[in-house]
Amino acid sequence: MLSYKQNPDPSGLHSRRCMNRKKDKGFEICINNINFQRKSVIGYVELTIFPTVMNLNRIKLNSKQCRIYRVRVNDLEAPFIYNDPTLEVCHHESKQRNLNYFSSAYTAAVSAVDPDAGNGELSIKVPSELWKQGDEMKVMKVYIEFSLDQPKGGLHFVVPDVDGSMAERAAHVFSFGNQNSTRFWFPCVDSYSELCTWKLEFTVDASMVAVSCGDLVETVYTHDMRKKTFHYMLPIPTAAPNISLAVGPFEILVDPYMHEVTHFCLPQLLPLLKQTMSYLHEIFEFYEEILTCRYPYSCFKTVFVDEAYVQVSSYASMSIFSTNLLHSGMIIDQTPVTRRCLAQALAQQFFGCFISRMSWSDEWVLKGISGYIYGLYLKKTFGVNEYRHWIKEELDKIVEYELKMGGVLLHPTFSGGKEKDNPTPHLHFSIRHPHTLSWEYYKMFQCKAHLVMRLIENRISMEFMLQVFNKLLSLASTASSQKYQSHMWSQMLVSTSGFLKSISNVSGKDIGPLIKQWVDQSGVVKFFGSFAFNRKRNVLELEIRQDYTSSGTQKYVGPIKVTVQELDGSFNHTLQIEENSLKHDIPCHSKSRRNKKKKIPLMNGEEVDMDLSAMDADSPLLWIRIDPDMSILRKVEFEQADFMWQYQLRFERDVVAQEEAISALEIFPTPASRLALTDILEQDQCFYKVRIQACFCLAKIANSMMSTWTGPPAMKSLFTRMFCCKSCPNIVKTNNFINFQSYFLQKTMPVAMALLRDVQNLCPKEVLNFILDLIKYNDNRKNKFSDNYYRAELIDALTNSLTPAISINNEVRTVDNLNTDVRLILEEITRFLNMEKLLPSYRNTITVSCLRAIRMLQKNGHIPSDPSLFKSYAQYGHFVDVRIAALEAVIDYTRVDRSSSELQWLLDLVQNDPVHYIRHEILSMLAKNPPFTKAADSLLCNEALVDQLWKLMNSGTCHDWRLRCDAVNLYYTLFGLTRPSCLPLPELGLVLNLKEKKAVLNPTIKSEQGPGGPEVTTTMCTVIFFDFCQFPTQEEEDIDMDTVHDSQAFIYHHLNMLERPSTPGKEPSSVEQAMLSMPGTPMPTLSKESTSSKHGDHHHHHHHHEHKKKKKKHKHKHKHKHKHESKDKDRDSHAFSNSPASGRSIRSPSLSD
Amino acid sequence: MLSRRLATPIPEKRSGSSKTSTSPTDNYQLARRRTLQVVVSSLLTECGFESAEKAAMETLTEMMQSYITEVGRCAKATCEHTARSTPTLSDVVITLVEMGFNVDTLPVYAKRSQRMVITAPPITNASVVPKALIAGQKRTHPTYIPSHFPEFPDPHTYIKTPTFREPVSDYQVVREKAASQRRDVERALTRFMAKTGETESLFKDDISAFPLIAAKPSAIPYLSALLPSELELQTLEETDSSEQDDQTDTENNSSNVSQDDQSADKENVVLPPGGVVPTGKANEENMIDNPYLRPVKKPKVRRKK
Repeated sequence: MLSYKQNPDPSGLHSRRCMNRKKDKGFEICINNINFQRKSVIGYVELTIFPTVMNLNRIKLNSKQCRIYRVRVNDLEAPFIYNDPTLEVCHHESKQRNLNYFSSAYTAAVSAVDPDAGNGELSIKVPSELWKQGDEMKVMKVYIEFSLDQPKGGLHFVVPDVDGSMAERAAHVFSFGNQNSTRFWFPCVDSYSELCTWKLEFTVDASMVAVSCGDLVETVYTHDMRKKTFHYMLPIPTAAPNISLAVGPFEILVDPYMHEVTHFCLPQLLPLLKQTMSYLHEIFEFYEEILTCRYPYSCFKTVFVDEAYVQVSSYASMSIFSTNLLHSGMIIDQTPVTRRCLAQALAQQFFGCFISRMSWSDEWVLKGISGYIYGLYLKKTFGVNEYRHWIKEELDKIVEYELKMGGVLLHPTFSGGKEKDNPTPHLHFSIRHPHTLSWEYYKMFQCKAHLVMRLIENRISMEFMLQVFNKLLSLASTASSQKYQSHMWSQMLVSTSGFLKSISNVSGKDIGPLIKQWVDQSGVVKFFGSFAFNRKRNVLELEIRQDYTSSGTQKYVGPIKVTVQELDGSFNHTLQIEENSLKHDIPCHSKSRRNKKKKIPLMNGEEVDMDLSAMDADSPLLWIRIDPDMSILRKVEFEQADFMWQYQLRFERDVVAQEEAISALEIFPTPASRLALTDILEQDQCFYKVRIQACFCLAKIANSMMSTWTGPPAMKSLFTRMFCCKSCPNIVKTNNFINFQSYFLQKTMPVAMALLRDVQNLCPKEVLNFILDLIKYNDNRKNKFSDNYYRAELIDALTNSLTPAISINNEVRTVDNLNTDVRLILEEITRFLNMEKLLPSYRNTITVSCLRAIRMLQKNGHIPSDPSLFKSYAQYGHFVDVRIAALEAVIDYTRVDRSSSELQWLLDLVQNDPVHYIRHEILSMLAKNPPFTKAADSLLCNEALVDQLWKLMNSGTCHDWRLRCDAVNLYYTLFGLTRPSCLPLPELGLVLNLKEKKAVLNPTIKSEQGPGGPEVTTTMCTVIFFDFCQFPTQEEEDIDMDTVHDSQAFIYHHLNMLERPSTPGKEPSSVEQAMLSMPGTPMPTLSKESTSSKHGDHHHHHHHHEHKKKKKKHKHKHKHKHKHESKDKDRDSHAFSNSPASGRSIRSPSLSD
Repeated sequence: MLSRRLATPIPEKRSGSSKTSTSPTDNYQLARRRTLQVVVSSLLTECGFESAEKAAMETLTEMMQSYITEVGRCAKATCEHTARSTPTLSDVVITLVEMGFNVDTLPVYAKRSQRMVITAPPITNASVVPKALIAGQKRTHPTYIPSHFPEFPDPHTYIKTPTFREPVSDYQVVREKAASQRRDVERALTRFMAKTGETESLFKDDISAFPLIAAKPSAIPYLSALLPSELELQTLEETDSSEQDDQTDTENNSSNVSQDDQSADKENVVLPPGGVVPTGKANEENMIDNPYLRPVKKPKVRRKK
């Protein structure tokens, strides 16, 4: 039983709030019953509301897929309406198939239930008896009983299909969702800005534990002693989206260092949990120290669950992790990954959970700060090299994304709410709501946010930065201890302006231009640099050009740092990038005087000997770096001679510079490059990731130098020297991974070597045999660590060595004509894959690699192409990594073989797979490796597929915001923004609609005329279901028509007002009519939607009045239509949702007296 | 003839074990018995009988056997009495005399004219007493033990069993051997598994070419994927470094459990759900005030909302 008490936010800070006309102060949620067998939940919530406006007669709450039995306000039954336009975004009869149309309709639908705008799916009419009370601003208590049956979103049940009790089966349930998704599992004000205190009660089986937010006050048995009730209190004001729940037969581990911290994992995993959590206290200490602030909650809980939605999700005082992050002490590779996840989760506890956001457009501050302090943790724990490498990686990622997809805007401002003002017209989705964002965009958004925080730090210094954070936190913690009435709670919400104000207060610096450039504006900077050395003037003539016209770019004006390494030392110069100046003269300090043998000072004060014979005799320049500190979000393409890159690689101590040099050297396949790379590879003081990168670069260079290459294959002798026995160089030493740097190198080198090719473009026999020997002689018996990742990479190396088979006349691939080398490879793969069944490796890494290898063999034509093996590994019940690898192979097969049955199989999985993450991954992998694109014709592209995908994003994914956006993404990849080309062109301008007995303008044509135009904004499809509940049978007969009627009209009006702000006066709404025409006896289902969408007639604002007339005219026809529609609806909702609660909204009319 | 018989293994040593004896011994005894019957028959023929009842034959044979056995036993006793181990002719003579037999008549009887000659029974099986494998140097008797006493058994049977193998000192060969041995084992094992269970194949034309054990979904896939396999755990134990940690861990656990049990008994409370035994440092544990470790309260009569 779930009982939950939300106390609305009192302050009424935003004018928006007034639309909501309420402040919730306390929330009580009580879940009485969780049934794992039926996957159902029963409970009630009780909200305490402090009205801030007079005449509060309408309360809007968010609720999705909950079946609501009754609503009471201050013990009086209150009528309510449930209306969720996001269930079906565009009306299903519409023949519209262009994405622009969908996106704007979807945005409108999300806006229509946006709690920040005072909207919600559930509208409760305050009984008129209480209206007076409202005038006196008295407290109101709203009590809602609800149940959930087989929820498709919000709560996830994992019930393994084995014998035994639910506890023995390790059955568990946990809440999840993308952004504010709490409405999926209980009615609430699902907004990050609506804070309240919480009291939570969960009654669960005695063998289970319920973990939720706040302090566990007590656990009490029920009277029959078969169940227990967990009572939680969360006195810190918290937003509903930060509330979570996990119930299962968890094993409990109290952190040995911090007794307030409790860890939970599934049965049998306790040893792993102990190992995994052994360093959590260090993360705590770190954050508390830099923020000079205690962890804000009195306790912290970590729960590890199976089939997690995301790896890490943070909620108030608890975090839910994927159980796959757990590892034993023998696992090397997973350890840093898991530590990072924990650090991320903890950073979000401070910024994200404790401090919430004022509005969606302030999200970047939270993500930025939590990402930034997480970065500081990385720096402290993994070292400066790792940190700088990470920053470069993140920078490269965001640059690549923005240049490819268009800009990422951190702080969008929406003036007037018109589509025309869309700040990101280049995107195929709206960034107005978190629920309309593509997942990848959101990831990039977070990435950019923390990079921008780092830019701010560069500008105001870290000290000030941390002071700002401390200030935010201390204000918030002061506020959190206040009573609601003190109106202080808004201090716990961060806003962009508030954040900037703190920065300027603390640092006294104006960071306006920086914010304008990176926060208010999207895009990155693209620099092209080149230089010439003027010997006469002893001046470096640097030219920096910009590309600010292509998509995703912006113009940069301001300072830029350039570092020049000369013979006499390293010098920093700050140049001013201005509108028209491209060239910059930089005076050089040193004459070219390399005859004097002297050590060369580096930037870090070190002095080194260099062999200067490679450099230009006339120039004192060793290398030049543009923006070495990455203080601009930019991509730099800089031209300098190969020897300069080589010097940079060898002698520059910054890992970022080394990595830049390595990627630049790829186009200089010379012996000198080879030597520089080999030297780096051998140097064990060098950062291991640089050395790893050098491996791959060396392979590329070796391939380009194929004809002139002398000596053994690249890296072979090096590997032999480092990892093979002295006495017998063909045998690798028995594994000892105690030195992680060399472990990673040992893993990577064979993978890179396998990329080598000989003159026939085959992998050299010598290399292949070498790898096969590594596999053969691999011996882990004396090793303290598991070698599963190493073996997996050896299989990857085999995969890399594959080249396309020579095929004559497209012969069928048989065992007999198998190439001998391939036969050897296949033997190994078969053996590995079979051994894995007997002795599974950690996270089944070896199976994953084997599946990839088999797909590669198929793709290269060595073995027959066949997806059935992968399909069996993709089944539910395999480890998730294995499933993903298998699905990736199926997706690749679908593309290469253009198989419509496989595509169908995949799409079926998207709709039916129990694991949300798998569904999401299928769609995103399909978008990354699409079976076809809008550019190319394909047999796969047909009307049925368009319809199917349309249906998927229109109504099939309404239970998962992320999945819906994934579907939109895929649709965009396959068909683009406009009407898919494979659809038949509408021939007639007018279409006779027999059902409605009238002719309308063909909607498909209309859409073509104005894609994404403003006309669509009016066509929000308001689908309202009235479902008379069966239970209060007696009362149904006497519906208080006035009350119901009023409430309907109000909601309808309210919804429409959003869309048509210009429409004055009262709306003769169709709902009203429907209600009036409703017989007194209960009707099972009656559906009604706004006429606009039904007619498929998308009109502009000024059409509105006309439209109204039309509506009246067809009034009687509507009635007929309702029946058809309700049937259609039924069919539809069955197609996509098995849960009666998901597609159905319930309204229980009840007597007020 | 008698002396010859005596030279053969002494019958009574085997008689006791006739029931349980193995079939070669049985055969041997049967053969001997058959020979005796032939002897009895020929003696009867000599005496002029033409036929005999089976029972009479058996009785006579039994008597004959007993007599010879007794002669042998007594001869051995006589011989041992004089501290010898092998009977001599005089031992036999004394025995016969003791048994009341007139030895002087024997040569005459032996040389009688109508005597029938019977071929000696083949002594093939019986004599094949496998020569004991001699391993190592047998210890010689110390001076105080007479040399006619039985020899010491092989040293490996009562001191130790050293196994001698040519130590392979060549590293390369060792590695090579270990590698191929492991590979062979793995291959054989996986082939066996593939043969005995469901498989998937990469080739349509030859299903047996590269048999892959069919992938079977499991109800709780994360367990096998996350928990280290027994083999890995074993390896871990063998590598010394972590041994100590493990030990202390288990110690803690065990003391923990017992303490908890005690407290559970005392207070008669039920432990947290799922039978979870709180873990951690045993001593601290009792002082830790963590709400999840607190006992579950009994229901009170609560005010209904």
